[in-house]
Amino acid sequence: MAHSPRKGSPARWAAVILPPLCLGGLMAWTAGMFSPAAISPSHFMQRFHNAGAPDTGFRRAHAKGMCATGWFDPSPEGRVLSRSGVFKGEHLPVMGRFSLAPPMPYLPDNPAVARSLALQIRSATGDDWRMALVDVPLQPMRDIADAYAFFGAARLDPTTHKTDPAASQAYAAQRPWLKTAFEQVKAHKQSSDLTNDTYNSLDSFILTNDAGKQVAVRWSVVAKEDFSPAEGSGTNDGNYLFKRLVQTLDQKPLSWDIVATVAREGDPVNDPSQPWNEADQKVTVGTVTFTKAYSEDESPCGPMVFDPTILPDGISVSGDPLLALRSSIYMRSYATRSAEHKTPSMVTPGDVANPPLTSDEKGQ
Amino acid sequence: MSFSRLSILLHWVMAALIIVMLFVGLVMAHDSTIHYAGLFTLHRTVGFLLLLLVVIRLINRFASHTPPLPNDLPAVMKLAAHLSHILLYGFMIALPLVGWAMLSAGGYPITLWGGCHIPPLIGFHPHLWGALRCLHSLLAYGLILLILAHIGAALLHGIIRRDGVMGSMLRR
Ligand code: HEM
Ligand code: HEM
Repeated sequence: MAHSPRKGSPARWAAVILPPLCLGGLMAWTAGMFSPAAISPSHFMQRFHNAGAPDTGFRRAHAKGMCATGWFDPSPEGRVLSRSGVFKGEHLPVMGRFSLAPPMPYLPDNPAVARSLALQIRSATGDDWRMALVDVPLQPMRDIADAYAFFGAARLDPTTHKTDPAASQAYAAQRPWLKTAFEQVKAHKQSSDLTNDTYNSLDSFILTNDAGKQVAVRWSVVAKEDFSPAEGSGTNDGNYLFKRLVQTLDQKPLSWDIVATVAREGDPVNDPSQPWNEADQKVTVGTVTFTKAYSEDESPCGPMVFDPTILPDGISVSGDPLLALRSSIYMRSYATRSAEHKTPSMVTPGDVANPPLTSDEKGQ
Repeated sequence: MSFSRLSILLHWVMAALIIVMLFVGLVMAHDSTIHYAGLFTLHRTVGFLLLLLVVIRLINRFASHTPPLPNDLPAVMKLAAHLSHILLYGFMIALPLVGWAMLSAGGYPITLWGGCHIPPLIGFHPHLWGALRCLHSLLAYGLILLILAHIGAALLHGIIRRDGVMGSMLRR
């Protein structure tokens, strides 16, 4: 049955070599080896790097942050909207991370910068609900192409270390569909600090209740503290926002309501750049209360990822293309920073344990 | 001399699924314009299916008859064949295990298509997550090279040597 080896014709050798070569080529093409300009996770990382993210173990966005722990008390109204176990439990543990939105981990606190809050709520039955929210009212991007262009326009000039205003103006000018979003972002009144700020999911989610009924919602995490407007930075303490949060938590717990805005017919569920109807129903599904602050260098919230698509049964992603994108990009950022040697966070354990008051702050 | 029907079935079902997994993985990791969530769920689900299949396949490998390589095959080629088969099994086991371990280390809950929940293989270790994620890529690239060499070798047997080795995995 066995044949002695024989020389093949060139055509036979081609039939041996070409199939694996073609398959290998197709795989290399799929891995983007022939498309250096494609929109890919590694090119997103490059854009974050060009926008000021160092490679020293920090998140590629929302890099400066601090952790807080507390609990979540669901309301009976939440149970009507979603069958999730997080609305059936009581007093569930919460891990939070307050942050500044830019990719620079050593950015001095200032009133102009957008702020954010990430949450993880866990139930005794294994539910895991992660959220990543910002304090702007609408997302100045509607899809993956917008997101890629947005972070491209955030590039810092290598010599001046400043963004190019012309680039962000061009970004806005080329996208008339973002007009309302930019208007609302501009009109947004910044609060005095992290304790009285309201944070929004912008992207929407689908809630399913015990009867199988589904609604689309956007989340807002609304401060119970009274709003007071941001003054001029009025301090030269680069951590004044975080220190105020620490000082307040040293005195009393701080609470936020988790509010669902329920979409009605016609609301643009899959487009986070468009407003919903003002008259939409708002339902408070529960309250988050923080009691303790930690530097992210001594809390698991520092290394962990707040991927907004990590959701318990009863809450699921909408068709918003940015949600799926975020999952992929957060994963890449998370893998990259986890493998790096991390430098200390700007809000240090010392700041949290015993926040020194600056003379400027004592007056406030 | 041929492989058993079950061996042939397992070989081709797994080959097709692994090729699909490689493409899905590469698209997920290198193209941001796709619908990530759906592909990722598919990747986890088929990954665990393949882990189950490789266990069945290993048991079957030892329980059934494996046709010997042709007598006239040079000793180095025999060695290369045996080694590459051991490596192929190793990579087929390691890839889904590393995928499982890395998502566990990263603190990701692992849910399969249809809602089935897989418990974590190891605890929350963010540093390990970064390293294992990198290992998953390296293993995948290694598996790709092995598979390409494997296809080339099979075609060499079938088209140049015509020694019946390729036929033993095609028909009973
Ligand atoms: C609705 C829009 C968005 C909101 C509300 C949002 C909010 C947040 C928040 C709060 C964090 C910090 C999480 C933490 O403290 O760990 C974060 C991290 C991050 N965001 Fe976003 N984000 C949005 C859109 C995007 C988009 C479109 C991209 C890019 C494609 C992006 C890229 C990132 C990255 C790379 C991180 C770091 C992830 C990590 O390493 O853990 N975000 N985001
Ligand atoms: C035989 C089984 C598997 C094969 C052949 C496979 C193959 C791949 C490939 C080729 C990649 C892209 C690597 C890169 O270019 O960086 C990848 C990425 C990935 N795989 Fe797998 N995989 C398998 C099983 C699994 C399992 C069981 C899991 C999890 C439970 C998993 C989770 C992942 C994740 C999270 C990524 C990263 C995606 C990203 O970067 O966005 N894999 N896989």
